[in-house]
Amino acid sequence: MEKSAEVDGFGFKWGKKRGNGVENKDVQFYESFTYDGSEYSLYDCVLLGVASKPDSPEFFVGKIIKMWEHTDQRQNPRNVELLWFFKPSELSRYLQRVQDVLPNELFLASGSGVGLTNANQLEAICGKCNVQCISKDKRNPQPSSEEIKLADFVFHRTFDVQNSKILEKIDDKIAGVDVKFIFNRTSCEKKASAVQKVATGVHGTAHSLKPNRPSTSGSVRQNERNARDLYGHRKSDYGHKKEEDNDFHKQLARKKSAVAEERSNKDPGRRDGELDNRNASGSRRNDCNGKKDQDNEVENQLRKQKSRLAEEGCSRDSYCLEDLPRKKRKLDGSVAVSKHTEEKRLSDANYRRDYGVFDVTQKPHVTWEEDLGSAEGRGTLVLLQNLDPTCTSSEVENIVYSALNEQCTARMIERTSITIPHLGEALVIFKTADAAKRVIKRLDEGCLLLSNGRTLVATSAKVNPPEMPRFRFPGHIKPRIQIRREMRNAVATSHCAQRNTIEFDMGMEWRLHRDRFELACKRIFEVSIDHCFI
Amino acid sequence: MANQGEEEYAKFLEKVRRTVYVDELTPHASEAVVKSAFDQFGTVTDLRFLPNYFGPKELPVSVLVEMENEDMAKAVIGTLTQFPFMVAGMPRPVRAAAATPEMFHDRPKKPGSKIQCRWIDPSDPEFDKAKKMKRLVQKHSAETSFMLKKQLEEAEKLDKQQSETATTHYKKFELIDKLYHDGAAKNLASHYNMKSFSFH
Repeated sequence: MEKSAEVDGFGFKWGKKRGNGVENKDVQFYESFTYDGSEYSLYDCVLLGVASKPDSPEFFVGKIIKMWEHTDQRQNPRNVELLWFFKPSELSRYLQRVQDVLPNELFLASGSGVGLTNANQLEAICGKCNVQCISKDKRNPQPSSEEIKLADFVFHRTFDVQNSKILEKIDDKIAGVDVKFIFNRTSCEKKASAVQKVATGVHGTAHSLKPNRPSTSGSVRQNERNARDLYGHRKSDYGHKKEEDNDFHKQLARKKSAVAEERSNKDPGRRDGELDNRNASGSRRNDCNGKKDQDNEVENQLRKQKSRLAEEGCSRDSYCLEDLPRKKRKLDGSVAVSKHTEEKRLSDANYRRDYGVFDVTQKPHVTWEEDLGSAEGRGTLVLLQNLDPTCTSSEVENIVYSALNEQCTARMIERTSITIPHLGEALVIFKTADAAKRVIKRLDEGCLLLSNGRTLVATSAKVNPPEMPRFRFPGHIKPRIQIRREMRNAVATSHCAQRNTIEFDMGMEWRLHRDRFELACKRIFEVSIDHCFI
Repeated sequence: MANQGEEEYAKFLEKVRRTVYVDELTPHASEAVVKSAFDQFGTVTDLRFLPNYFGPKELPVSVLVEMENEDMAKAVIGTLTQFPFMVAGMPRPVRAAAATPEMFHDRPKKPGSKIQCRWIDPSDPEFDKAKKMKRLVQKHSAETSFMLKKQLEEAEKLDKQQSETATTHYKKFELIDKLYHDGAAKNLASHYNMKSFSFH
């Protein structure tokens, strides 16, 4: 119930109907819908967040090829089926020999099999995006150079999910969708079909690149909020601030870039305040209240960044940077709710159609292991040591974000009997090798102190390739050929050794060996801990 | 929201209690083998092999075995502490211990936990201390990897010794077998006027 209220909060409305489902009378298909202020129609491209990584700016791009609602009473009845686009980063393994990948190029999924399309909850959509097809194919209405410039992404190749191959040609039909809906629409179609298409053209990237990037008014609203925070912050300056607040209201009418520039030119005190504000809101998001007042370096960094942005007159970007994860969180909230209902839903066999609803996470996203392999090759893999052992992976990402200003994917390394119990370690993958180098350098030269007196240590990491070892495991004796037959059963089933066997004695020897090792470890760790806290 | 976090964490802790940490496992053990091994104690609901990212490849593997309920997990730990339990090979037994939250890389955030951090200014007296601490961390990792290497050497040694013992035992049994087979034992028994006994 909470769910539907939340959705209604985003102003949801269905558009034109399309006829009932053939095999299921309870399903109503549609051609368009309005959600969170924008209108979506069939074959529009949309952005989706990654449910498993709430705070990451990761997103997926898909094309809506179906939208429907279950008319029987159930939770999360609204669904969309998406044809996926792959980002080059997801296909890095297959792109090694492909040279000419454009920075904003995507690859359309094609062929058949897992990863082509998915049914997703409609609420997982977090914004529209403008994807242009730049294929030279004569069936494709060629986009103008302006259109290409305005596009968030372009594509002209496909990725065959079945054979894992990059293809230059686009088939006549992909996932049952006629190719004319995959190419750009012709100009008359554009006019006829969508007001919002034109709107996309006018607003360009402003509306569509980042999920629900704040429009002009959104960002001004944020400025206003900043100003209010500030206002609360400095009660002593009440009158002065009030004046400025008024001043600020006048500015509301103006363009926001101008706002940013003017404000940054104001007295330095004000500017500091703004920085504080930024800090505060940043740390709020990251659940991490840094002691920013002591944090000269970060502040300097921020100031630098800020002034640079002001110079460029595109403060818009700086806000969108902040706004992006927040928007994501809204999405994640709704997905988290759906997780709660998961068990209930799965238990109900009638809803078989709904089975794939959580697929936001199930896109053939390269797994961590594959990611790791490619990251190691590109030099973006970093090992962070001396974390709090109870830290979680997302907390590590937050630490890196708030203290080092870098986006990353982190994974805590599990504690085992051979890891050092008082040292938390995490593997972190950065977007670029430069970012990784920067982080290592900064953590090497400076000292980042974490809450319980730990200093973060970063080293570039090299991991073992995940392969089966070929050697014989020490301690497992292979019986000789003559007796192997009778031994085979014993090996195949796991068992406890009986006290009257040789096996038992040998097992005990191994235990002794292990205990000795553990004792030694314990001693070493005790000494280490003593060192750490002297 | 806070309640949801707590709920999630409580659920996670319950899962941790149902889970047994097993190590000293051979890298050759497949998921099916491990599952059938621990299905003897109840129902295994999930298995997770913990990756060995940095250690030498020869290290034994660790695995998290999630049982259906806490009692089963206790039964596993109890039995494995009492008897050497061998999985996918012998005589080196596996070890079991209760799992801890730190063994799950995807553990949820502990409700109420908060992280703070700050950059230390080079002029701060803390700075040197922090630098020293960083060196210590590296030293400790080096020490640990050295320990591991030593341990592996020891394991090799023990393995070699046991192989020899086993071979000797086999030889002994073979010899006895042979004596029975070619009738030497019987002949000797009749020669010394003893009752012939059957070994098998």
